[in-house]
Amino acid sequence: MTPDIKIRVADLNFSYRDRTILQDVSVEFPEKTITALTGSSGAGKSTFLMTLNRLWENIPNAQMQGTVEIKLQNQFRDIYAPDLAVTELRKMVATVFQVPNPLPMSIRKNVAFPLKLSGERSRGLVDEKIEQALKMANLWDEVKDRLNEDARNLSGGQQQRLCIARALVLEPEVLLLDEPTSSLDQASTAVIEDLLLKLKDRLTILIVSHHPEQVKRIADKVVEFTDGRIITAP
Amino acid sequence: MRYRSLERLTIIFAWLTGLLLLSAVSLLLGYLFIKGYQSVNLTLIFGDASPLRAILLQERVFNGLFPAIVGTLILVLLSVFWAIPIGMATGIYLAEYASPRAKRVLDAFFDVLSGIPSIVIGLFGFAFAVFLHKHYSDRIGPCLLISSIALSFLVLPYIIRTTQASLEGIPRETRLTALALGATKFQNIFLVLIPRSLTGIMSGIILAIGRCAEDTAVIMLTGAVASTGLPRSLFAQYEALPFYIYYISSQYADRAELMQGYGASIILILLCAVLFSVAYGIRKGLTHFALYRP
Repeated sequence: MTPDIKIRVADLNFSYRDRTILQDVSVEFPEKTITALTGSSGAGKSTFLMTLNRLWENIPNAQMQGTVEIKLQNQFRDIYAPDLAVTELRKMVATVFQVPNPLPMSIRKNVAFPLKLSGERSRGLVDEKIEQALKMANLWDEVKDRLNEDARNLSGGQQQRLCIARALVLEPEVLLLDEPTSSLDQASTAVIEDLLLKLKDRLTILIVSHHPEQVKRIADKVVEFTDGRIITAP
Repeated sequence: MRYRSLERLTIIFAWLTGLLLLSAVSLLLGYLFIKGYQSVNLTLIFGDASPLRAILLQERVFNGLFPAIVGTLILVLLSVFWAIPIGMATGIYLAEYASPRAKRVLDAFFDVLSGIPSIVIGLFGFAFAVFLHKHYSDRIGPCLLISSIALSFLVLPYIIRTTQASLEGIPRETRLTALALGATKFQNIFLVLIPRSLTGIMSGIILAIGRCAEDTAVIMLTGAVASTGLPRSLFAQYEALPFYIYYISSQYADRAELMQGYGASIILILLCAVLFSVAYGIRKGLTHFALYRP
């Protein structure tokens, strides 16, 4: 059985300050799988992730050509089409960055932040979703008694799981992770890898990773970048 | 070896300059306090009036600094009140919305604005008051309102620059955090970037407060007078500490009057200290509120 396609990228070119970062990238990603993006640093992996949620648009002097289609709510949509608001896209295509980046607020408010952005006011619903997301990110038991503490007091691994919970709270369909474990120790890394394997049933995961071991442990598919091109896409 | 001694020399030089600065400040403050501490008492502030009744506005103070203290306080608060919203909005625009070209042009404008001597701004305020007087109403002349507007022009660049600089200093990762979670640009600015910059913005406001409290050139042309009592309205003339200090030190008749000038200086410095502490307190509270409000 071949899984359904979730993301379709065609003829993608990307440049930053007139320097080519990605060149003629065409690739597809199957639904509810983990795909690892590998390659040496500077090969364009992180940039590629940013083309899937249009985050690069906030960086001056960047340019992109090509099409990116993602199946959102069971329908393929061109994410650069004007009828799809970028804020809506980013609620369905969530991102976790390399360095854990909790906002300088309490744990509760960090997870509630995306809900606040989308105007959710019901306290009961917010609390329920916070608990759900934190449980999904395997963090609930560690923080349930101190939700009002500053999120920056958590350990690095906990902070990264908090960021994953925050990304999950709006129930996205795609999760992009940019080397999420590179700043963490082995134990925290293992916890996050287990978590990703568990999440695979719910959403499509793309993870940039430098560690062949990690790729072997969690990835269903590997896409390797070299100098802005994809060389293997089995 | 040569670099070693060069390094040592640099360190010694740095220490010396630091020491020079410290001793200059302590010399100045020390001199002021030694000269003036004797004249600082309730009589200096309230004259012959009873302090309690004067504070409750039941009795006028004729020969004390009370009206000047109140005048300076109101002046500072008014000026900062005008300058904060405009300055912050401009800073936000420059940091977040302006195109590179608009930024270049406006940068030049604000550099010019921050370079204008305060006496020129005072003259402008005076001309403005005369204009209003001629064309709109005889009742308008140099007054508290004109002074505060002119002063707010003087301190606008501080607030604009600190707002802009602290917004621009936020690292890209932080900038992208909320955007990646689906925030609009507006939400990102007001929920994440501004709260993160409050400390910086408040430093600009503190600078502005100090400048408003001490500036004499602007107010002596736009409405400050030596003796008029408490300001009765925004359109009335008023007394202010720096103007009083200037007036008394240029016109004093005897030693006792000069001593009052020293006393007024001490009170002005104390007033600034109080305003600074309040601003620091607000900064702490605001940052906390912005980030942790329930």
